[in-house]
Amino acid sequence: MNAVAEKYAHWDVGALFIYTNEAHPGENFPHLTSMEEKFDHARKLRDRLGVTRRILVDSLDGKCHRAFGSMPNMTWILTNSGMPIYKADWTDYVSVENALDYFLNMQERRRSGQRLVPFSVKRLDYRESDREAFYRRLAENGERAVQEFKEAFG
Amino acid sequence: MPDKELIEAYNYDSFVPEKYERWLNFESSLPLGKIITDFSLWDLNKEQTTLVTEVNQHPLTFIEFGSFT
Repeated sequence: MNAVAEKYAHWDVGALFIYTNEAHPGENFPHLTSMEEKFDHARKLRDRLGVTRRILVDSLDGKCHRAFGSMPNMTWILTNSGMPIYKADWTDYVSVENALDYFLNMQERRRSGQRLVPFSVKRLDYRESDREAFYRRLAENGERAVQEFKEAFG
Repeated sequence: MPDKELIEAYNYDSFVPEKYERWLNFESSLPLGKIITDFSLWDLNKEQTTLVTEVNQHPLTFIEFGSFT
C-alpha cells in the first residue's frame, strides 16, 4: 500500500494508516493495555514493517476503529469534507487503485461539465491470499498467535 | 460498558471467536455518502489531531486500518 500512496500522491491523494487493536496478539506482541504500548507498537509497524504512510494512533478503546466497523485490516476512502465514498472490509491494493482511478476520473468528468449524482453499488472484489506469507507474519507475533489462528480457521 | 471493561474487551488478549467476533461490525459501520463525526487521533510524536483535519488536506484520502499483528 506504500506504493499506492506514492503512485497517487501525484494526483494529490492522501494516505493514512490508523493503528488499531492487535488482531492476533502473541508472546512477542501482546494485547495492548496502555497508549504507551500502542505508540510503541505503531512505531514498530513503521520501523520493522516499513509503513511509510502517515501513521495515526486511535484511542485505546478504538473509538474511531469501532465506528468504521472494527475489521482488522480494512481500507476506506474519504473526501476532504469527511465523507466516505469507498469502504472495503479487507485491504487490497488492486481494489483501492481501481476505486481511486474511478474517483479521479469522476472528478475529471465534473471538471468537464458533466452533472453527476451519487448512487450506491455493491460488488465482490478478489484479493490474492498467500497463506504461507500470512503464517510467517503471524509467527512473528508468537507461537500462540499461530496456534489460535489455526484453531479458529484450520 | 464501563471504559475499563470496554478497553479490555476491545484489546482482547487472545484470538478466540468469543473475544474477537463481537468487534467485526462492518455491516453496521459508517454509511457511505454521509459526513462523518470527527475522531481524535495521535501521530507518533503523540501530537493530537482529528480524522477530519487529516482528510481535509487532500481531495481524496485512502485510510488503511491495522496493527503490527
